[in-house]
Amino acid sequence: MNYRPERLLIEKPVSESRLVQRILAAMKDIPVDWVDRLKDNTTSKNGKVLEIVKFQGRFIKPCPGTRFYTCCGYQILNLGFQCSLGCTYCILQSYFPNPNLRLFGNLEDMWQQLEEHLQSSPRRVHRIGTGEFTDSLLLDPLTRMSEELVPFFAAKPNAVLELKTKTAQVDLLKSLHHRGHTIVAWSLNPPSLIAREEADTATLEERLEAARRCQEWGYRLAFHFDPLLVYPNWQKGYRDVVDHLSSMVDPGGIAWISLGTLRFMPSLKPIIRRNHPKSTILEEEFIPGLDGKMRYFRDLRVEMYGYLSRMLRNWHKDLCVYLCMESSDIWHESLGFDPAECGGLSDMLDGQALP
Amino acid sequence: MPTTKFRFIQFAEVDWNDAVCLITYGPLPDKLFLSIKAVGLLQKPLLQRKENGLFRIICGSRRLAVSRELGLQPLPCQILPDSLPLHTCLRMAIYDNLAHRRLNPVEKSLVLTKMADHMDKSKLIEEFMSPLDLEPSVILLERYEKLVQLEPFILDSLASGRLNERVAFALTPLEQTDRLALFQLFQELPFSVSVEEELVEMVVEIGRRQGIGLAEVINLREIREIRQANTRPARQRAQDIRRYLQALRSPRLTARKERFAKEVHDLGLPAGVRLVPPPHFEGPRWSLECAFERGDELAARLRHLAELADRGEFQRVMKSVC
Repeated sequence: MNYRPERLLIEKPVSESRLVQRILAAMKDIPVDWVDRLKDNTTSKNGKVLEIVKFQGRFIKPCPGTRFYTCCGYQILNLGFQCSLGCTYCILQSYFPNPNLRLFGNLEDMWQQLEEHLQSSPRRVHRIGTGEFTDSLLLDPLTRMSEELVPFFAAKPNAVLELKTKTAQVDLLKSLHHRGHTIVAWSLNPPSLIAREEADTATLEERLEAARRCQEWGYRLAFHFDPLLVYPNWQKGYRDVVDHLSSMVDPGGIAWISLGTLRFMPSLKPIIRRNHPKSTILEEEFIPGLDGKMRYFRDLRVEMYGYLSRMLRNWHKDLCVYLCMESSDIWHESLGFDPAECGGLSDMLDGQALP
Repeated sequence: MPTTKFRFIQFAEVDWNDAVCLITYGPLPDKLFLSIKAVGLLQKPLLQRKENGLFRIICGSRRLAVSRELGLQPLPCQILPDSLPLHTCLRMAIYDNLAHRRLNPVEKSLVLTKMADHMDKSKLIEEFMSPLDLEPSVILLERYEKLVQLEPFILDSLASGRLNERVAFALTPLEQTDRLALFQLFQELPFSVSVEEELVEMVVEIGRRQGIGLAEVINLREIREIRQANTRPARQRAQDIRRYLQALRSPRLTARKERFAKEVHDLGLPAGVRLVPPPHFEGPRWSLECAFERGDELAARLRHLAELADRGEFQRVMKSVC
């Protein structure tokens, strides 16, 4: 990891931003280009430029679920776009054809919108994550955003921040005042898949060691078996991951574990083929889902979810395990219940969210 | 337009092998033979003298080829100045053709690959893709640029419209043996363009998944047998091959369909009633079709169905098997 761009490209309207100042101070030897407004033709799209812009859109948005599958009611705090971890299945390849990482420099707008959002529904539990359009901790050593976000959420009685990552960059979290309002989450896969399909991420060992450290510092944890990938002898691969996980962390400190099999928009397929010719993830059997995304055939999904959830519950029967974007019939067949029948998935997770 | 000089040219003075400015591809049109035979060359071809003294054809290659076949010489031609740069000549050849006809996919590919030597991609896209009736995009440009590398008989098929360019794009990145195996299949049996694209993708994925070459997939015994069953209409054999490959590509879905068909059969649904699973068995919404002629008939069928729906066998039909 240790992300290091070849060049910084910064929009002048955010030149005074403390995020920009922090990055400039940390990267004194990196050439900087200043532009009034970043346009498509003002940046070389080689993935080696760090772009810092004034974001004009909404910083906080609901997770883009669809009506066909059960959504968890997550909210996304958008601090930037794109990721350099090189996961073969990553949807960002099709969302953002520009491979450069982009950060939003106008943090004061972000804080204002976030504050207003939390105040607008003070009785609601807000589960907010920064890991949807980028990795939550990939640039943290550079941006030090966790130093602002974690204490902010610590002071909010009705909100919890989920930092979702495939890195092991947790050092800055050690001394932060979190009051249990930050959950640190890792996406997990067997080591052989990490090596082939998540090339520039931390190894499983590194992720779990980072999780162990966070738990030691009092953070609650979450894990996402998402995307679950089929490959020869996947059962053993995932069983080993759960065994490894169980040897590293205390299950009592896990807020939730999600399961979600690989799914992708058909338009991503040629991009994966082009960008990752050695990837084997497209060779499985897919069908078009109700939301238009390609998914594994339902029987296989049910088999995977059933297998993983049994292993997880054998480890600790009270773990909160949920399915990401699945329909009620799949919930029933694989987990034995449908959250819609007991208040809904969103309520189920809200109940787990606050310390 | 640069100044040209008029001159009668003998066949021997033309460099017939020089294709630098040649962007026409395909058989010579019969009507051109008819026209030249009837009234001779109405529009004079445009040539340029080369360093070796022979003339390079800039515009009018087909008129010249027809005249040559008809043995009509000397040929009345316009000669461009020797100093005129090659890319200017090439441009003249392209615009001359664009002005009076639609180019076939091979010709479009020739235009784009030849002009690519003289200008950068963005200018190439901007100037030529729309006039060629192509969506201006880098991806499409790159696909067209690769077309000309295909084997001559595939190019012939493409130029004549027997092979669609979308299918040719899919064939281009394949190994030659694999490409030829698929091409031969498409020549042999009538598939639609979208099915041909689907078949290429399926065969690629089956090959990758099973660790065998694409040609091996196409030559599987079952496929060979279907192809050789000449007593069956070609259209049915094409459908059979598609179904066979789909089953190979999606074994779980196929097994589930077969299981569903058997279980529904064993359930003994009333006559005129059909149980319809969701597409690809995805999602919770199943449906039931019931045809009837009288109210009492409907009532009897619904009673029978209500009884069936309570049974474990009926519930099992809707469940996965893991």
